[in-house]
Amino acid sequence: MTMKSLLGTVSLALLLGGAATAAQAQIAIGHLEDLSGGTSDVGTPYGQGVADTFAWVNKNGGIGGKQLNVDSNDYGYQVPRAIALYKKWSGADKVAAIMGWGTADTEALTGFLAQDKIPDISGSYAAALTDPEGTSGKAKPAPYNFFYGPSYSDAMRAMLTWAAEDWKAKGKPGKPKFVHMGANHPYPNAPKAAGEAIAADLGFEVLPPLVFALTPGDYSAQCLSLKSSGANYAYLGNTAASNISVLKACKTAGVDVQFMGNVWGMDENAAKTAGDAADGVIFPLRTAVAWGGDAPGMKTVMEISKMSDPTGNVYRPVHYIAAVCSALYLKEAIDWAVKNGGATGENVAKGFYQKANWVPAGMEGVCNPSTWTEKDHRPTMKVDLYRSKISGPTDGDLNDLVKKGTIKLEKVKTIELPRKPEWFGW
Amino acid sequence: MAGPSLIPSGDYRTTYAADTTIFPTKASRNAAIAGIVLICFAPLAFSEYWLSILIQIGIFAIAALGLNILVGFTGQISIGHAAFFLFGAFTSAYISNTLPIPVFFAIPLAGVITALVGLIFGIPAARLKGLYLVIATLAAQYILLDFFSRADWFSGGAAPASANPFSIFGYVFRGDRQYFYVVLTYLVVSYLLVTNLMRTRDGRALVAIRDHYLSAEIMGINLTKYRTLSFGLAAFFAGIAGALYAHYQLVVSNEGFGIERSIIFLAMVIIGGTGSIMGTLMGTAFVVLLPESMEWISAGLKGSAIDKALSLNNNITFLREIAIGLIIIAFLMFEPDGLAHRWRQIKTYWKLYPFSH
Repeated sequence: MTMKSLLGTVSLALLLGGAATAAQAQIAIGHLEDLSGGTSDVGTPYGQGVADTFAWVNKNGGIGGKQLNVDSNDYGYQVPRAIALYKKWSGADKVAAIMGWGTADTEALTGFLAQDKIPDISGSYAAALTDPEGTSGKAKPAPYNFFYGPSYSDAMRAMLTWAAEDWKAKGKPGKPKFVHMGANHPYPNAPKAAGEAIAADLGFEVLPPLVFALTPGDYSAQCLSLKSSGANYAYLGNTAASNISVLKACKTAGVDVQFMGNVWGMDENAAKTAGDAADGVIFPLRTAVAWGGDAPGMKTVMEISKMSDPTGNVYRPVHYIAAVCSALYLKEAIDWAVKNGGATGENVAKGFYQKANWVPAGMEGVCNPSTWTEKDHRPTMKVDLYRSKISGPTDGDLNDLVKKGTIKLEKVKTIELPRKPEWFGW
Repeated sequence: MAGPSLIPSGDYRTTYAADTTIFPTKASRNAAIAGIVLICFAPLAFSEYWLSILIQIGIFAIAALGLNILVGFTGQISIGHAAFFLFGAFTSAYISNTLPIPVFFAIPLAGVITALVGLIFGIPAARLKGLYLVIATLAAQYILLDFFSRADWFSGGAAPASANPFSIFGYVFRGDRQYFYVVLTYLVVSYLLVTNLMRTRDGRALVAIRDHYLSAEIMGINLTKYRTLSFGLAAFFAGIAGALYAHYQLVVSNEGFGIERSIIFLAMVIIGGTGSIMGTLMGTAFVVLLPESMEWISAGLKGSAIDKALSLNNNITFLREIAIGLIIIAFLMFEPDGLAHRWRQIKTYWKLYPFSH
């Protein structure tokens, strides 16, 4: 009983404390992050990036003199927990916007977001979230879904376009073979149909997809099937930690295949962990530069990073910088809303439509220019493809490894896809 | 389960019927009715957060009740309960989405269909015991989950399925405040049903099997029938609870209902007290509130001196999971008879206060 009453008192005190802070803050933002679930490897730096950015905005006076009250929650990549949090955020103290995360939960929320008029800037870049009016006929209307970066499908199209050229350049005979790899989960599945369609158009032979789980594990069996199928290009649809398992197992099995990762499928941390197994993986980079890159906006990113790392010594992977961009786009949209009738969800969504090809202030040269319109939520059609280069043992500090060039993200090609109507919404 | 009797002196029973009343005294019956009436005002008094917790307790308590019939009253075991819960959720969503059947009828229908599936998976139970049965029910868990992730027509495959809001004769229940009453009604009806079931011949047969299956068989109880029936009943309540959950969340996803959720259902039954109907409700409340209270503590710890001293940062999330595990172990060690037993002791203490001993 004493334990219970103790818990009761503590919880009451916390509730009262929570109520007091909520009264002071003026713009509420919900933040879903995955720190413990299937995508926590990339969810952790992304979540930190979002939290740091808003802390930095608050430190610099908030938005229009109003502080942001960010409610960050680890939902463990589980749809039911995301729904429960959404109920809280759409209730009496409605939030102005949500920084979301996964594909499954974002797609589950899409209908509610439209009904409650709450914009959701997701970490999911599923093409189904890009059609605000449902005019494509391929996706349900998603008027309040936004994200920063190329959609999964467009990134896939760009990588396959590159792969077709690569095959020609290498002068290899016959038809190249393409295979989609990933968990049977909405996130890896999102670009599957689009990828297989364009692969067939580009002259690839499309092999049956290979399934491996979102969590790290032993994927030797998948690598052996990959080897026996004779695939030349394989798409890795999962996040970095699980992809590393495949890369390592395939290295051991001696599979000769060009891997292409999803935007969440490769980063500097993953390259360090995978070592030489990660050498040569092609993946899209969402920002113009990586950590420490030569761009005017990198100074802002460094400032933001100091919010959780005052020493400034921590190396931030690509997902952190993408999070800063996503959060700052939202910040500017809220800024517009505050000046034009108040920070309601509806106004914040309109805030995204005010400019074309824009970059948040202070992020020049880091975030890629993006455009959102009432009819099309594909922020960009430009895909920068990079290759991870590992030229030695990857022990030691990531900062040093990148400085010495042991781990290098090497630009391969920028592919500018046409904004084709038939590629809209899937 | 032998606890001190709460029946006041001078209260004699002269019939068997009087011996098996739901409430031992008039006062306890009135208290229960007053409690239900009082909780009807919860939507007016509580914040949405607390209301959502109450709804969760209500829904999971129905599922745990089903499991308690199986574990606590029949002495069987199942670690596939979450799969039946999810089956009910998908079935109700599917029925109400594709057939012209309103949600009001879809929920009990989903319960019945889940019960049929439970009967099928209960067949091995008639032959298996102990560890072998555990593995058989584990198979049910995996078979069903695999089915959900592949059957696009039924569950939407890997993508979450959507469910319609609860409606009756054209009136749509929107929001937690209205849905609370739906859950409360189902909760009260389920608990009354099971309490009554245990007073019937069939209910006593289940208990007899639990206490000694050989003696039960010698007395003429059909073991196969009752063991399978028990699985069907457990699945029925899991299905009802799952259906309620589907129309509460409005989205059904096959995430979060793996083996760990089945174990959590077992934890609810064990913490509440196996073979105790009210204990099931208490155990569910405890298990639902435990992670929430850990959340409050971890939120309070975040940024505090303790956090900085131990540099916990994001590990607080994991600390929460560890704490939940520890508390459950502590419970099994110090309170093996469950919350129901502790509750009886508290009642006895106050009954005799201040003259106990």
